[in-house]
Amino acid sequence: MLRRALATLMLLLAALVAGAPAPARAAALSIDIFGPGQSRVNMAFTEPLPLAPAPALPPEAARFATLVRENLGYLPFLHLVPDGEILGGTRMPGVVRDDIDMRRFQISKVDLVMTTGWQPGADGSRLECRVYEASSGRLVLGKAYLRVDAQGLVRVADLFCSHFMEALTGRGEFFRSRLAFSRREGQKREIWTMTPQGRDLRQVSFLGGASSSPAWSVDGRYLAFAHHSVWQHTLAVWDSQTNRIFETKVPGTTIGGMDFMPDGTLAVAMTRGNMDIFKMTRDLTRVGDTLVSNWAIDVSPSFDAEGRLMAFTSDRQGNPQIFVKDMQTGREERVTYEGKYNTSPSISPDGRLVVYSRRTPEGHRIFISDIQAMRERQLTFGPGNDEEPAFSPDGYFIVFSSNRSGAYKLYLTTRHGDEPRALETGGGAATHPAFGLRGD
Amino acid sequence: MRTRFLVGMAVILAMMLAVSGCAKTQKDAAEQPLSFSTPEPQAGEPAMVDSAALDAEAQKAFDALTVNKIYFDFDKFDLKDESKEVLKAKAEILKKYGDWKMLVEGHCDERGTEEYNLALGERRARAAYEYLVVLGVPSSRLKIVSFGEEKPAVEGSGEAAWAKNRRDEFKVFK
Repeated sequence: MLRRALATLMLLLAALVAGAPAPARAAALSIDIFGPGQSRVNMAFTEPLPLAPAPALPPEAARFATLVRENLGYLPFLHLVPDGEILGGTRMPGVVRDDIDMRRFQISKVDLVMTTGWQPGADGSRLECRVYEASSGRLVLGKAYLRVDAQGLVRVADLFCSHFMEALTGRGEFFRSRLAFSRREGQKREIWTMTPQGRDLRQVSFLGGASSSPAWSVDGRYLAFAHHSVWQHTLAVWDSQTNRIFETKVPGTTIGGMDFMPDGTLAVAMTRGNMDIFKMTRDLTRVGDTLVSNWAIDVSPSFDAEGRLMAFTSDRQGNPQIFVKDMQTGREERVTYEGKYNTSPSISPDGRLVVYSRRTPEGHRIFISDIQAMRERQLTFGPGNDEEPAFSPDGYFIVFSSNRSGAYKLYLTTRHGDEPRALETGGGAATHPAFGLRGD
Repeated sequence: MRTRFLVGMAVILAMMLAVSGCAKTQKDAAEQPLSFSTPEPQAGEPAMVDSAALDAEAQKAFDALTVNKIYFDFDKFDLKDESKEVLKAKAEILKKYGDWKMLVEGHCDERGTEEYNLALGERRARAAYEYLVVLGVPSSRLKIVSFGEEKPAVEGSGEAAWAKNRRDEFKVFK
């Protein structure tokens, strides 16, 4: 009897132990950039160190630290803690977890600590970057880069920041993306490209007249845009691999925007008696399928990442409004009901959100609509006109043009409407921004 | 029975081949890069008529074609009565000067956004073009182009400037 009772007790204990939760372990730090309540974390940097047995840091070390700080400064969910705010300083004996006094970062309310170690070599340095959670010491990301020199420093900084953003949020395309936009110089407007951080600013078109409405192919190789001369509108495509521009007269009189579909074909809004939206053939000289046909003006196509949905502007119900077409069923649904002038839509890669410009009594403003929940929110508040919003490839950032400072410039915000940040585009009005992935 | 079985198998096999063929075609299309070569250079741009070289009567006709513009309401492209009168006068001149052609430029004010304004400018130019064709001007002697808000006639903001910028302009070429 006693034996049976003991056996039962043992079994119960075993069951309790088996069912007990594992020893408490802090959840890995992650940031939901797509959720409604985006959190903000504090990040600090230890002093860059030479990796033993290197005697000294290479000259690139300081520049790399600056580049990473500049890059991460674009992420609204990160607060970069100044070195001076870390009690006891940021100099550590080494770059791995056991070398770092996490307590001094914890006291300064730091969530993430980044270390960099350099091993100079004859053909460039070996660079080791690590990011730890200050509270648990968990390694969030560790990356090593070989043969790092001054020439490749920006690329390495972008690569690291891309991996870091991906580790935190699941998406890192922002630091692998670039922007195209139209820039005015006198009476001419040409197409320029740059990274979203304002680096590698480059003029790609030299056609005179007005070039506008740029759109990147999904792989980032091709950049299509419209060119308006005194006599006609033409379609132009810049091949970033060969640095050549192809220009052709489209079988229509006016071009009203374009976008690449995920399969690489180009959809163009153009007038063939009426302004509709068409698929072009692969050689871009003939019209393929008609995507939207209506007696009204239909312009500004924008596709989601899978090509399931296309947002566009149509004035079929009396004034310009945003519509979304389901490419499988052919169903076209109106998205905007407020305001009498909603234009320039850009659909998020996941097809859930559409951003657009609405004309209000105070000027154009950027709005965002959840097309599943049919909920709308104002993202920008001027002053001046905020126009032509475009989603980044990760669906988190939104770039738009605004004359809030007097002249039209580009600004970066997020789907949550974070404080717009001006982008450096050089002289001349900058309009029509379009995000794409770097093809390199 | 055996023949039926073989025919059935052949049909199934053919369907499988067709399905795999379709899948491959789709994949190939997705991987295929854009294919284009620079087209042959097109004929040069048409020559504008040099008004200084015209005699007094022709110069007057030239001015009547190019100086008189027509105007539109905001976000509208329908012709007003006074615009129709202006176009009737232009049609008569074009009938008289048979070697002249006319470019109709559609323009908008700055308040809209560019791509929609380009479409609206095209509609404004096309409205004039179609009215001129109805009045008997051959379509081969007319050409339209839209500038949207790219080339305002008057700089500045306010209804006085905007009203002057929502317009069709006319150029004469041969």
